[in-house]
Amino acid sequence: MKFKKLVLIRGFSQIIFFLGFGYILWTTTYPLTSPLPSDLFFKTNPLLMIISSLSERIVLTGIIYSLILLLLSMIIGRYFCGWVCPLGSFMDFANWLNKKKFVAPDKTNRKVRKFKYLILLIIFCFAIFKVQISWLFDPIVIFGRFVSLNLIPAITLIIDNSFIRLLKASNLSLRLFDLYRDLQQSILGVKISFFAHSWITLLDILLIILAAFYIPRLWCRTICPLGGLYALAAKCSPLKRVVTKCIACGKCNTRCRMGAIKKDFSYLKSECILCMDCVYDCPTQETFFHFNALRLKPQAKTPEIKSGISRREFLIMTLTSSLSLLAIKKSSSQDFLDSRHPYIIRPPAALKEDTFLNRCIRCGNCMKVCPTNGLQPVIVACGARGVWSPQLIADIGYCEYNCTLCSQVCPTGAIKKIPLAKKQTLKLGIAKINRETCLPWAKNKECIGCEEHCPIPDKAIKIKEEIVDGKLLLRPEIDEKLCIGCGICQTKCPVRPIRAIKMVPEKSDRM
Amino acid sequence: MKFDSIFQKKISRKEFLKLLCSGASLLVTESIIAKAALALPADSTGRIKKNIKTAYDLVAASGSDPYQLTLKAIQAIGGMEHFVKPNSTVLIKPNIAWDRTPEQAANTNPDVIAALIDLCFQAGAKRVNIFDNCCNDAKRCYDNSGIQKIAKEHKANIFFPSPWNVCQAKFAYQSPMENWPVFREALECDTFINVPIMKHHRLTGLTLSMKNLMGICSGSRGNIHTDIGLKLADLTNFINPDLTVIDAYRVLLRNGPVGGNLEDVQLTQKLIVGTEPVLTDAYAAKLMGYDPMSIPYIASAINRDLGNADLDQANILDLTV
Repeated sequence: MKFKKLVLIRGFSQIIFFLGFGYILWTTTYPLTSPLPSDLFFKTNPLLMIISSLSERIVLTGIIYSLILLLLSMIIGRYFCGWVCPLGSFMDFANWLNKKKFVAPDKTNRKVRKFKYLILLIIFCFAIFKVQISWLFDPIVIFGRFVSLNLIPAITLIIDNSFIRLLKASNLSLRLFDLYRDLQQSILGVKISFFAHSWITLLDILLIILAAFYIPRLWCRTICPLGGLYALAAKCSPLKRVVTKCIACGKCNTRCRMGAIKKDFSYLKSECILCMDCVYDCPTQETFFHFNALRLKPQAKTPEIKSGISRREFLIMTLTSSLSLLAIKKSSSQDFLDSRHPYIIRPPAALKEDTFLNRCIRCGNCMKVCPTNGLQPVIVACGARGVWSPQLIADIGYCEYNCTLCSQVCPTGAIKKIPLAKKQTLKLGIAKINRETCLPWAKNKECIGCEEHCPIPDKAIKIKEEIVDGKLLLRPEIDEKLCIGCGICQTKCPVRPIRAIKMVPEKSDRM
Repeated sequence: MKFDSIFQKKISRKEFLKLLCSGASLLVTESIIAKAALALPADSTGRIKKNIKTAYDLVAASGSDPYQLTLKAIQAIGGMEHFVKPNSTVLIKPNIAWDRTPEQAANTNPDVIAALIDLCFQAGAKRVNIFDNCCNDAKRCYDNSGIQKIAKEHKANIFFPSPWNVCQAKFAYQSPMENWPVFREALECDTFINVPIMKHHRLTGLTLSMKNLMGICSGSRGNIHTDIGLKLADLTNFINPDLTVIDAYRVLLRNGPVGGNLEDVQLTQKLIVGTEPVLTDAYAAKLMGYDPMSIPYIASAINRDLGNADLDQANILDLTV
């Protein structure tokens, strides 16, 4: 077996970035002490940063890092897809398990690869009309959501359950118990989070991976808009593939995972992800990647092929995307947005609904980091534009009074970074007591657990003292001026199945 | 065998069904065996009252240094050796329920805990466990209360309680706490030291040692609030803490039990140590100007003869450190 130095380095880089991605999301939790910032992969994503900036007509802080990556792509090509992208690495791994290699004819390849430019164009058109939908197909976001909402909860659950099993089997062995508790305090965490609708993300990833199992990198070839953006940048890169001696064996072309090498052994720079396989597949060992290709006297011709999309296709794409946009745009004025879904409680310091939906890239960081697991993804509750955006479900968890973690991990500032003292005065909504079910009101029983838990120093829940049947009864009432709608009263209310105290997003302070 | 041969192998329908059935039956038998073999004792009749005889029934100490205050108060009541036997396991149950700093006086003073840990180890304890079932996010409570840090520094074993590791409480008499899940560590310890912080609590008037025992309960704790007096009296009778140390160094006078305003905190610089929880609570209530009988759980315990709160008969030492 040949020593494939470049392929090994590439594989190593993929593993490092894959693990790094997992590590960053794993440490996106209280107390956020990881040396790597939790929004690293999202902040350096040019698609998300450019589209969010464009749709809001602002310059996002930190956009410069993503532009540097894009510039780097203009010099060396789509290195990101082949060397960095964790979803790409996962797909490569899936395809590596399948020994049968699929080879698509040139014609099919040409047809499918255009599709990603169409998606990219649609995303751009939407951004021009102030609607950000880059989250829909961005691979980093999809994979990030998968890791945060599916993988990490599943892994922690499995580890936790195994420990419980082992502990019970060993009759609560003290040493094992100490290890378990140390893990709980360090990396495992006390709480195992669960996220509503996370099976949809799982399904997304399963489809992408299953497709990649049969057809290598199908997602990257056809759909990925981030790949499309990098592909456009890569078109002007000086790094080229050159073959100085070709015996037309066809090995490179049948084994290229991106279908970038054609039947006539010319190749598409925009499709090549620099996986370096063809360098070692070549029996003559005369395939190179070089910045000054002409100096190497290439034998196989690398003609400037007309790649990408034609003018006519471009026009059709623009027209269709603009039309579909008009339909959506019409239904998204601010009033309409607010009145249509009155039950959504956003995280503290979230921007105004319209801006929030534009700025939010649905990475799932805020939900991952929320210590009470109260932040949950929205699927249908606020329309097509709100899919995967976060909402606080106080039945599950409340907004911790001394915590600003969600704003700290938000990559785009959809949840604004504000000091803790400010956050403690921001209203997410207001709690309302249902006197028909509340124990002291409806059944004359002792309770006021809501008042007990209320974190406002002066108590937003006031007590009304009433004598009922000769007994002094303490009944809770909301002081709407003081209530910030953190929702702990709803979380802790013992009334089931429907809590007697509930939050409504009335009078909420949006930034 | 190649790795991917599993994907290429053809199997008949019959074989597939066989595979499916054997897999399912394996899972079922495993779960049955696991259930039978892994069952831990699930019921408990509680801890037995030890009736440890000490020089005083109660020591009320005051002084400016909480650590020294605790050392001297325990010494005055007869020393930790009375309560902790060599090679024993001790549980210290502080109040770490809230995500608040020590200055805000919602959680037990960490210096009091530090002194108790040191005393336990000096008396020869093998292991000192500390835990509480928090109301706010557990990690935040443990960090911001300062108790996790101090417990680790003093080599105590601080941990988060596991909701699966509980016993069902069983009573010899009719009790609303029957079958309530109680953390196993609270029951399987040689010495139980209850270390509440005295503070305001709207429903019961004051949070004292008996109220602090709610922290060893799992389950839906919101429901304890109905008939709270009865339930806490039964719970105290079930646990029978050997030593009660009420931290009244800083006292939250209003807006308890969470607090947050520093103006609501009074620097009282007191510590009350007793062997009888009801008596200790009654003394603390009186100290704060409450009639002990107005605190529902004290009243319930006295009315049902589950504890003695006769402050006139008790042997009380006032100590200034």
